[in-house]
Amino acid sequence: MSDTSDAPAVDNALQKFRDMLAKDGYDLSWAPSSADAGNVVVRIEAGPDACEDCLVPQPVMESIMSQALAETSYGLERVELPAEH
Amino acid sequence: MGVGIIDPTRSGATPAASRASDAPRPDSLHGLRVGLLENGKRNAAAVLDAVGAELSGRHGAEQLVPRTKHQFAMPLPDELVEELTGICDVVVIGVGDCGSCSASAVADGIRLENIGLPTAVICTDAFAQTSAAMAELQGDPEHPYLLTEHPIANLGAGSIAARAGDLADRVARRLTTARAAEVA
Repeated sequence: MSDTSDAPAVDNALQKFRDMLAKDGYDLSWAPSSADAGNVVVRIEAGPDACEDCLVPQPVMESIMSQALAETSYGLERVELPAEH
Repeated sequence: MGVGIIDPTRSGATPAASRASDAPRPDSLHGLRVGLLENGKRNAAAVLDAVGAELSGRHGAEQLVPRTKHQFAMPLPDELVEELTGICDVVVIGVGDCGSCSASAVADGIRLENIGLPTAVICTDAFAQTSAAMAELQGDPEHPYLLTEHPIANLGAGSIAARAGDLADRVARRLTTARAAEVA
């Protein structure tokens, strides 16, 4: 069972990144990890107008989101991309 | 819909763990050959051309050398790196106006700096986070890329000229001023 009591803080921490991804046509969502209640899983999904080549590289994404989540009580478990290359 | 993710952190030149540093700076742009490395994104060439015109007109650049990076999300091809180091004294790189190309532009700038070529990297402010994250990953967390207002893709000629006017002085300063001496 995952605790989301700090959900607003996570939303707030990831908002800037959500806005940035939206400019390239991607949506960001997150959910508490089922394996570790202290971590979250971030999912990136391509919208209908997503620029395929524009998506932030995974290492950069993970770095940004890890730093953003450091302000909350959660850590980053992983980022799920539309498709791995 | 499948999406392939490109990783411009995988450059052959700069190990991420190494400490990146700026190339030595010229005192001014007078008489210099200025590379304008555009990434093929919409209006990138127009913006860099306009910046280049300002660098010539107001800062004394002798020659403008336009070049195109044909795959904006990928690291600079070695052949292009070699060409730039042979025919340019400094290079302006831009415009990083998406997640991958902003990260890639910063990576390219750091790579060229590490081999002795002064650069000024231009990204849009919507992608400041990716620019900063790539700078850190490349071992240069303080890398002073330049930000301009997002977007640029929909700018008309008049707006591009105005944007270039603002950018040119900042580009010139970045190209000619050692980092420790830069005013915040």
